[in-house]
Amino acid sequence: MAEKGGGEFGFTPSTAKKSIFKQPVAKSAVGGSSKKHKTVQFDTSSESEGSPVANHNNGSFKSGGKGLFDSPASKGDSGKGGKGGKTGKGWGKSSAPKLPVVVQLEIEKDLPKNAKCMMDCAAEAALQGIQDQLSMLSRDPTIKLPLAFNKALEYAKGSSRYSNPLAVWHALEKLRVLKITESELCLISNVCPDTVDEVYALIPSLKTNRLTTEGAIKNLLYELDNLKS
Amino acid sequence: MYLRVELSWNVVVSAEQLHGEGLLLQRALILQLLEDFSNRKANSDYGYFVAPTALERIGDGKVRQDSGDVLFPVVFKCITFKPFKGEILCGVVNKIMKQGVFLSCGPIEKVFLAAIKMGDYHHFPGENPVFQNDKDSKIEKNVQVRFKVLGTKWIETDREFQILGSLEGDYLGPIYKGEI
Repeated sequence: MAEKGGGEFGFTPSTAKKSIFKQPVAKSAVGGSSKKHKTVQFDTSSESEGSPVANHNNGSFKSGGKGLFDSPASKGDSGKGGKGGKTGKGWGKSSAPKLPVVVQLEIEKDLPKNAKCMMDCAAEAALQGIQDQLSMLSRDPTIKLPLAFNKALEYAKGSSRYSNPLAVWHALEKLRVLKITESELCLISNVCPDTVDEVYALIPSLKTNRLTTEGAIKNLLYELDNLKS
Repeated sequence: MYLRVELSWNVVVSAEQLHGEGLLLQRALILQLLEDFSNRKANSDYGYFVAPTALERIGDGKVRQDSGDVLFPVVFKCITFKPFKGEILCGVVNKIMKQGVFLSCGPIEKVFLAAIKMGDYHHFPGENPVFQNDKDSKIEKNVQVRFKVLGTKWIETDREFQILGSLEGDYLGPIYKGEI
């Protein structure tokens, strides 16, 4: 995922800033000089182990143009543009311990206005219903399902542990008064946690109000446990 | 994460599919929406189009002079699947390399867990390469892995998302049958 410099792809500091890991973290995770830094391209066509192309200059996935993931990563990975030597400015201090930055949930920020989060168990029920209806009409050759349908249904079946999505949502909705967002509630049901610690570890944004939410989450987990299929 | 989305699209129904009013028109519109979902696959705002669930409003159709097809402005609800930063997802391991692991996750076929983002897991090469940690927890082909989304990237040319994931943190890693 590295973007060492950018001469070849014409990365200027301004364009690079837009395209790649924005939050610098974990300098120590990337040791050595920038020359040692390698990137991996997606190449799913080849089965051999050495198939990913280690590329010193190109930080993007093979199929995807020049923009890179909008995510936190090490500063060394960031390749904010310019020469490799400049990006490696702070690497001399890599021995200093640096705590990893916790990636916060950004669903509410990225969610379009006309979209709402949906629990995996609710998606499973809805998609299963559609499939059952279509199987009755399956003799009709004009019905062509989207490619994503079967994969999405399979994923929902695999990850959903509750058979009654309405009851799950009723249990989750009680936490709305504690300023827990809809996306956080959906994520709680999707990860199907066993313990309170698991909830806070997987959804760190809830930690800010842990004192006020812990009791309610404990009760919620008890309720959800009874709803497991 | 799955999304419940309300969308407003123009749907073109061919003249042969128009048998009359009511249910047959709705059926023709839903079939056309399914085909449009297949063709569009995904977009950057809503993710992968999975299935339409309900037709909310059907506007007045406009006949196309050249073909006789009818264009209907339609408001409908549908289910989509879009990955978000910070989300916890599960994927199935497709390929293991020393640089990391490739997974697929529902309709998303390109999820990469870089070795440096796999915590205490180390690569063990061989005929069946694995990543393994000190607690003998193994990540091998076809194993289900729970990961955190570090970043997502929309690829316009392929109309797909790519995900960069991480196993750094508690309660992340391989999931075995009967355990989730």
